[in-house]
Amino acid sequence: MQHDATLKVDNLTVDLLTSKTAVRPVDGVSYSVRKGECLAIVGESGSGKTVMNFAPLGLMPAGVSTELSGSVKFNGRELIGLEDGELRHIRGKSIGFIFQDPMSALNPVRRIGRQIAEMAELHLGLSPSAAEARALELIKLVGIPDPEARLRQYPHELSGGLRQRVVIAIALAGEPKLLIADEPTTALDVTVQAQILRLLKDLRKRLDMAMILITHDMGVVASSADDIVVMYAARAVERGPVEEVLTQPRHPYTRALINAIPKSSDTVGTRFRGLSGMPPILGAPNPGCAFAPRCDLAVAECRHTRPLMSQATHSTVRFACPIANTESEIHGTGTCS
Amino acid sequence: MLRYTGNRLQQSVVLLFLASVVCFTLVVSSPGNVAVLIAELRGMIGSPGYVEQIEQEIGLNKPLLIRYADWLGNVIQGDFGISYRTGHDVNADIMNRITVTGMLVAGGAVVATVASLVLGFIGAFWPGGITDRAVRGFALVGASTPTFFVGALVIFMFAVILNLVPAVGFNGLKSWILPWITVAVLPAAVLSRVVRVGLEEAMASPYVLTAKSKGLSRFRIMFRDALPNITPIYINALGTQIGLMTAAAIIVEPLFAWQGMGDYFLNGVRFRDFMVVQACLLLFLTFFIVVNLVVDLTVMATDPRIRRQRSGA
Ligand SMILES: Nc1ncnc2c1ncn2[C@@H]1O[C@H](COP(=O)(O)OP(=O)(O)O)[C@@H](O)[C@H]1O
Ligand SMILES: [Mg+2]
Repeated sequence: MQHDATLKVDNLTVDLLTSKTAVRPVDGVSYSVRKGECLAIVGESGSGKTVMNFAPLGLMPAGVSTELSGSVKFNGRELIGLEDGELRHIRGKSIGFIFQDPMSALNPVRRIGRQIAEMAELHLGLSPSAAEARALELIKLVGIPDPEARLRQYPHELSGGLRQRVVIAIALAGEPKLLIADEPTTALDVTVQAQILRLLKDLRKRLDMAMILITHDMGVVASSADDIVVMYAARAVERGPVEEVLTQPRHPYTRALINAIPKSSDTVGTRFRGLSGMPPILGAPNPGCAFAPRCDLAVAECRHTRPLMSQATHSTVRFACPIANTESEIHGTGTCS
Repeated sequence: MLRYTGNRLQQSVVLLFLASVVCFTLVVSSPGNVAVLIAELRGMIGSPGYVEQIEQEIGLNKPLLIRYADWLGNVIQGDFGISYRTGHDVNADIMNRITVTGMLVAGGAVVATVASLVLGFIGAFWPGGITDRAVRGFALVGASTPTFFVGALVIFMFAVILNLVPAVGFNGLKSWILPWITVAVLPAAVLSRVVRVGLEEAMASPYVLTAKSKGLSRFRIMFRDALPNITPIYINALGTQIGLMTAAAIIVEPLFAWQGMGDYFLNGVRFRDFMVVQACLLLFLTFFIVVNLVVDLTVMATDPRIRRQRSGA
């Protein structure tokens, strides 16, 4: 089980240094995803989801320097410590990326066809004309109508949903083993969101890829993902199989998140059950549990001691709250897997 | 797209008309009685009634509006009149000289374009590197260095000290090199900053992150993704620089003893040869307007977003 993970992340910590600031948006997070499976990563904006997935692959914007520690293994190969030149051969070819905002992710002055075809040239060694043919196949695969005409168009001539399909076609062009989708539907119309998610699910099954899906939407998690990692303020607070975590959330933050989903049984006019309080500001070092200020269960201890991830009894779910753990499971303390 | 081109053409015609008014007014309102000057040049200043005769001859006593209409009518037919000083046909003079200036500006533009693209790209590729710092320093110093000084410097370096090329004259490639460098140095510095800064900005855009996620090399991303995105600002800046190079011809041509339009204009001003001055000014302004028109149309043709908007599709 250890070595068949496509991506295995252990105790990953990311520090970002800009000319003005130093923050730690990812603090000791572990997870893994296997071939053909989908891992959902959920958490509020700014909890470190994007950085956690992009920084180890050298995909941080210019002007930020990144320090990584821990381990990120892709098909058994350690990525941390690789030169950018080596990471480059993994990006695109072995791991495909889908970005949050399809409106800005495509180059505005280059034709769609070229933007897809150059991937096939680079990673599959195809000639320009063969790559164009491959681009046409891909654009059909992602369900874009009138594919021949689309290849000759520029991004601004396409709607957001179609552009996201183009981004997906690009991500697939190198025939990757892992697809990382960072909130792929957040910027899209509600009606288009479901189509894109269905497409991603379908492609993952057909191409037998592993997939990491970053999302806010618990409904999406329930319908698409096998496993889930819940992030709060740079740390993972709970992770495990989706059906278990959603039906029986253990960490107080996960509970609050799930409780905040509007239910069909709500009567009209029910107050929105949002989370009270504000998410913490990263950068201020926190010796205890970052969620303590908003937590109902918090005791004095929570503010001083950092809760470690431990396994729930009779379950593969792991979560970082000793209070909830002892409260619900009197019998056992977490054991290491 | 056609509609935009049409609008832009219309605008240019209006500008051309305004330019002709400006030229005419400037020259007419410049100090000194032209008739007296002509009489002086012909050595007839003493003879009584001669000045009045000249006034009659060149129509100085007609109302201004009529004079303007006469002049414009001729100009539109491509007739710039006769130089009062030499008696030469201004058209013939211009025909001889315009190729010289054309050669200067065209060569300078090519040198400036190539140099700025190469230097700007290198500067962006290795930010803070030696090329980057040299170009930045040069652009700073260069902006306040007169072209005359640059010319003297390159003559001194390449012709006097290294003795590689002739210092003056207009015969063959070798004699063109120094003038080209002289007009191109400042535009090249300014334009390479445009490339350098534009590329740096473009490299921070989201589509570059996408390109990175594809596994493309940084060189290729900068060349194929970032560079095409700065084409509009670059072409705009290049247009301005070509205009400035044309103005610099006034300084550069005499420096290398080239008999081009700059030299012609300078002589015209010096001797109050107002047919010549008018012709030069008008051609210069026309060139400016045409360059601007070409810049706008090129930008439209190279930017798919604008192309679509302007065509109203
Ligand atoms: N380019 C950057 N420069 C500096 N800090 C950044 C940058 N990107 C992200 N961060 C920091 O990392 C934190 C987590 O960001 P991110 O991973 O984008 O969150 P999420 O994807 O969960 O919304 C942010 O709150 C911010 O402090
Ligand atoms: Mg994000």
